[in-house]
Amino acid sequence: MELFESLIVILLGSVLVNNYVLAQFMGICPFLGVSKKLDQATGMGIAVTAVMLLATAVTWPIQYFLLDKVGLGYMQTIVFILVIASLVQMLELLLKKFSPALHKGLGVYLPLITTNCAVLGVAINNIDEGYTFLESMVNSLGVGLGFLLAMVLFSGLRSRIDETNVPKPFRGLAVTLIAASFISLAFMGFAGIVDALFA
Amino acid sequence: MKQSIKSTLVLFLICAVMAVLLALTNAFTAPKIQANLEAAANEALLVVMPEGKDFKKMDLSSYTLPATVTEAYSEAGGGYVITITTSGYGSNFIIMCGVSADGKVTGTTCLSSSETLGHEKTYGANFIGKDAAGVDGVDTISGATKTTAAYKSAMKDAINAAIILGGGSVDIRTEEEILAENLATALPEGNGEFTKLFIVEVIEGIDAVYNANNAAGYVYVIGEQFIGVPAGTTPENATVATAHAILTATTTTEVDLSAYEGLPSALISASKTQTGNYILNLKGAGYGINGGNEYHPASGEYIYIRVSMTPDGKIIDCLTYAQSETPNIGSACADEKFYSQFVGKTEETYDNIDAIAGATLTTDGYKKAILRAFESVKILEGGAK
Amino acid sequence: MKNNGNLAILLKGILKENPVFVLILGTCPTLAMTKNVGDAFGMGLAALAVLLCSNVLVSLLRKVIPDTVRIPCYIVIIASFVTIVQMIVKAELPELDKNLGVFLPLITVNCIILGRAEMFAGKNSVGKSALDGIGMGLGFTLALVLMSTVREVLGNASFAGHAIAFLEPYKIKFLVEAPGGMLVYGCLIALVYVITKGKAPLKKSFSCAGCPNAANCHTACTELPADSGEKGDA
Repeated sequence: MELFESLIVILLGSVLVNNYVLAQFMGICPFLGVSKKLDQATGMGIAVTAVMLLATAVTWPIQYFLLDKVGLGYMQTIVFILVIASLVQMLELLLKKFSPALHKGLGVYLPLITTNCAVLGVAINNIDEGYTFLESMVNSLGVGLGFLLAMVLFSGLRSRIDETNVPKPFRGLAVTLIAASFISLAFMGFAGIVDALFA
Repeated sequence: MKQSIKSTLVLFLICAVMAVLLALTNAFTAPKIQANLEAAANEALLVVMPEGKDFKKMDLSSYTLPATVTEAYSEAGGGYVITITTSGYGSNFIIMCGVSADGKVTGTTCLSSSETLGHEKTYGANFIGKDAAGVDGVDTISGATKTTAAYKSAMKDAINAAIILGGGSVDIRTEEEILAENLATALPEGNGEFTKLFIVEVIEGIDAVYNANNAAGYVYVIGEQFIGVPAGTTPENATVATAHAILTATTTTEVDLSAYEGLPSALISASKTQTGNYILNLKGAGYGINGGNEYHPASGEYIYIRVSMTPDGKIIDCLTYAQSETPNIGSACADEKFYSQFVGKTEETYDNIDAIAGATLTTDGYKKAILRAFESVKILEGGAK
Repeated sequence: MKNNGNLAILLKGILKENPVFVLILGTCPTLAMTKNVGDAFGMGLAALAVLLCSNVLVSLLRKVIPDTVRIPCYIVIIASFVTIVQMIVKAELPELDKNLGVFLPLITVNCIILGRAEMFAGKNSVGKSALDGIGMGLGFTLALVLMSTVREVLGNASFAGHAIAFLEPYKIKFLVEAPGGMLVYGCLIALVYVITKGKAPLKKSFSCAGCPNAANCHTACTELPADSGEKGDA
């Protein structure tokens, strides 16, 4: 039961309170770049979630059973980024071969994910926080879902911005950032909610 | 083909060169990083022991320490920093405590807690400079008795742990463990399993009587003395002999409550000894029954109380035999420390007992039930209708 | 840019092609590390160091690295320099390491660095690449310091840790929280647009060329809306 509670706390914490995009500022670029249409935002969100889960499933054992064992903990960054880049490449190849339909849907987002710092960020954070493998997977799932949630919410907001008359200097990225700031403000309301969940 | 071999080779070479570069940098920076990490870890320790130097984490596996001790660091000056995990007001809290070489608290900090009032953050300062004996003298936080008690026991555990780690010896057995050991020594035939006897007759000079669960005999407690009386033998000690004779001769008869009028509904059943003492089973209103002012609510969570009483209304013994109060708070009504306070009390003096910390309603419900016991005995003594 | 003097290469990163306000690269650390001037300065210098080193090395090896594996090579080079900088910071400035946290290793995926390796260092001489690295790094640092100044002064009534007493009653605490970062960034981008009178080579011209994955993502670049410019690399 306690395990279940702690997992729920981690999951909700990473989806709502510590949302990577809106509170931690990781993965901002795709958040701003690919959130214009709902279907693109959803596709990107799902692809990121999948890659995060995959990356965690691979990097966690690498850190604990390989790097720490041979005292190469300092190689973390370089190993992780190479692993993530290879994973993304492999995932793309596999999708292309076995599921062209899915590749058409998600494949286009995959190359963009290599340099999405939220993926590397979550892999490193799972180690820094000292999570167990199960906790790491739950955390990655939460971070991915949080990213998806932020993308979907934001795409709704952006379609409204397009219909309004924005002052010229603010057109494009500036007003997008200001709109993102309001969503982030709304998410600040979740602070503390998880701590009170099982208190 | 040639192209791809070249590509792989270049990539591999770059990886190798960069790895060597990293290893070199690591060789230069690693000791310094390690030192920084240690300094950061020591910062927390310095809070509780400002003059400490050269802290080292200890391996506790070879020591017998109080069960609450989770971590300990030794220090160059002979002091120790002890981390205690203990339960406070319904949840765990973790206290770090520095203890100097002469067994005095140098500082304490609460690392984690969900205590309700936040006192625990500042309360620790009161313990600085105290030794094991001085800890009890620290003022209680008003309204947070439970937190205070948890903090004090944590301080004692930390000081004891430091003494043990320093090579000294401290009796860290709990009261229960000491009692169990005394009983087992007094009557080895009891196999270490004893139940406290509910006393229904006035016996002089005896503090408590324990009954071996396997009927091997009794153990009488007089002050610090434990006297075993195996079944079928006669004790040598005169006081014990008198008491033993009274106890073994006791017979009880059930009282038919329907023959009496006006008995409180809190009274469940009653029986009478051949000497005229009463044994009453009562139900008191617990916290779950909104109020505690109602002593005979129609339903709800009761505290079940057994009281033995002389015909003239003096309590011989008292026991909580069932309850379902809030764990760690109201549940203290089932502690011997609480209910034994009623022993020897009369209707005039029963109110004068220490309440259960943080459980006023439970205490009130309990007292009301005791009051009904006095009333019941009066009616039972008055005769059948 | 090609035939301009070395000074121009150095300066363009600071003004005309400022990575933060004009190219809109490296948005993540820009938002996350500008709560106070000290951290922003540290972040900027760390990125500058990595950028300079990786630019020089990439330029040195530009004739050796086969085109097919250039991105993995760049990533290895960058990640290594990031790790080196990380080690040095951890050893010499543990306080800064604590404040930068995960964003220090995340310099690896800061697309300013991969972007410069791909766009500039892979095609130019060592000297020019070094100047480009310094210029871009300084531009990044200056942008971060500017933005953190706005946020810290208005949001926390202090500058680089020194309290500004007369602002204390008026501080807008929200600016040092997460939403404040986005708001200030949005406003500064608009301000830069006004100052440069919209002449800064915004958006499209850099959207795909600036993307280090451009080779991989033709589909993405043509299919995705091109108006916001930074195309999914963080």
